[in-house]
Amino acid sequence: MKIVLIVNRKPYKINVEPKRRLLDILRDDLNFIGTKEGCGKGECGACTVLLNGRRVNSCLVPAFQLEGSTVITVEGLRNWKVFKPIERAFIENGAVQCGFCFPGFVISTVSFLKEKSSPVTLDKIKTAFGGNICRCTGYTKILAAIQELADQKDIIDQIQEDWKNEFNARK
Amino acid sequence: MSLMQENEIKFYCPQNINELDQIIKTSKEKLTFVAGTTDLMALEHEWKKINNLVDLNCVKELSQKIEIQSDGILIGAAVPMSGIINHSLIKDKFTILVEALQQVGSEQIQNRATLGGNIINASPAGDSLPVLNVLNAQLWIGPQKNGEFEKIQVSEIMSGPDETTLKTNKYIAYVLFPFPEGENLFWYFRKVGQREALAISKLSLAVLGWFKNGKIENIRISAGAVTAQVKRAIKTESALINKELNEKLIDEARKSLEDEIAPITDIRSNVEYRKQICGELLRDALFQVKLEN
Ligand SMILES: Cc1cc2nc3c(=O)[nH]c(=O)nc-3n(C[C@H](O)[C@H](O)[C@H](O)COP(=O)(O)OP(=O)(O)OC[C@H]3O[C@@H](n4cnc5c(N)ncnc54)[C@H](O)[C@@H]3O)c2cc1C
Ligand code: FES
Ligand code: FES
Repeated sequence: MKIVLIVNRKPYKINVEPKRRLLDILRDDLNFIGTKEGCGKGECGACTVLLNGRRVNSCLVPAFQLEGSTVITVEGLRNWKVFKPIERAFIENGAVQCGFCFPGFVISTVSFLKEKSSPVTLDKIKTAFGGNICRCTGYTKILAAIQELADQKDIIDQIQEDWKNEFNARK
Repeated sequence: MSLMQENEIKFYCPQNINELDQIIKTSKEKLTFVAGTTDLMALEHEWKKINNLVDLNCVKELSQKIEIQSDGILIGAAVPMSGIINHSLIKDKFTILVEALQQVGSEQIQNRATLGGNIINASPAGDSLPVLNVLNAQLWIGPQKNGEFEKIQVSEIMSGPDETTLKTNKYIAYVLFPFPEGENLFWYFRKVGQREALAISKLSLAVLGWFKNGKIENIRISAGAVTAQVKRAIKTESALINKELNEKLIDEARKSLEDEIAPITDIRSNVEYRKQICGELLRDALFQVKLEN
């Protein structure tokens, strides 16, 4: 079937098998290989992307539901001013080892910080990141990186602004 | 209506309920209704075999509608759970529902998963089921007959693990949550799983009720992932109604629930464990209620 979808601000007209997974469209058809496949069952979060502004597991979204949708992958976040500080917080806290889970964590980070209700507690972070698995770090450092980001007002403001630029500007 | 046909696979994307009902009436094949696909696509082999799909996301009434009515709240069966969780009136009036849905999978899952899918999947681990039970939720079943949906209780469509009695080519259109009649409402939901997030719940307990003049006027109890069917614990409920809540009664209720439920045995945990934990959860629930009242 022919569908049109916007990935990282660019429209693509593609001909796909209707039950094809968004994950495969991104990685194999459009070459956005930042998005990873871990489990293929919605458990690990390595394939997390923003679909119409909400984070979802791209391994559990079929092509036939994508007509006219907007997708942001980790590559798309490079257009966001807040990406650098997020990347820095993860690196400086030692929150990245093999890096396989990182794209999913970054998508979840912007989604979480956009919606965050203050004060951000460790418990809230743990719940919000329950759908992202990391097999290397043991989480402590990841949680520290996210807490550090959540506590900075300029980061939160920047996310709101980047979010507006991404989703409102082009409506 | 749009119909897409490709290698013997048919996709329907009905734009409203009338179109949806029309598709069902003219279809000779078994149709698969598709909502958030978190169950359907997680089982890769099953997913490959499905070839007559009706996408309920296309039907805006089902995938977007949350309507406040005089007697309760009507929620489209294909509304993503996060839409329910973030609804301020639902948060306020049906906190127990929000609490339970927040424990389904992860936020990524909640952004896609729906009540309709959770009910039809009918796994006894379905986290919404005990809560739908204690809230006396009513299911509106399509296709419509003479412009009316058929209305049934949740317990009426549960037949066993992974099974519902919903007939081929029938669908859940809406779930109606009646406002509970009582004042001084108390409620409790607890899920005991393997990991906090993503655990298939091993066991869950939902309790809802209210007091009048110091006595329990009404109480509803339902355990999830315990019995093959998600039923109310009617015997235990009656043992509590019209009584003053004290330690002795709480202990009797715990024993009564352990006797009343017949747990399933599967790899997730054994019979004795399930019975015991269930009783303990009820004890915990009632002590909490006692403290607060
Ligand atoms: C990683 C992961 C974790 C999970 N964790 C939990 C959990 O903690 N608790 C829990 O309860 N569940 C959990 N689930 C299961 C699942 O997410 C839920 O059951 C969800 O509610 C299913 O809804 P859906 O819209 O995605 O269903 P779909 O996958 O779209 O459909 C599921 C089934 O229901 C049918 N169906 C869907 N909607 C309707 C309708 N309106 N009328 C008739 N038939 C319909 C479909 O034909 C299909 O048979 C988890 C799943 C995954 C992948
Ligand atoms: S690959 Fe999608 S959640 Fe693991
Ligand atoms: S750093 Fe290796 S999986 Fe997280």
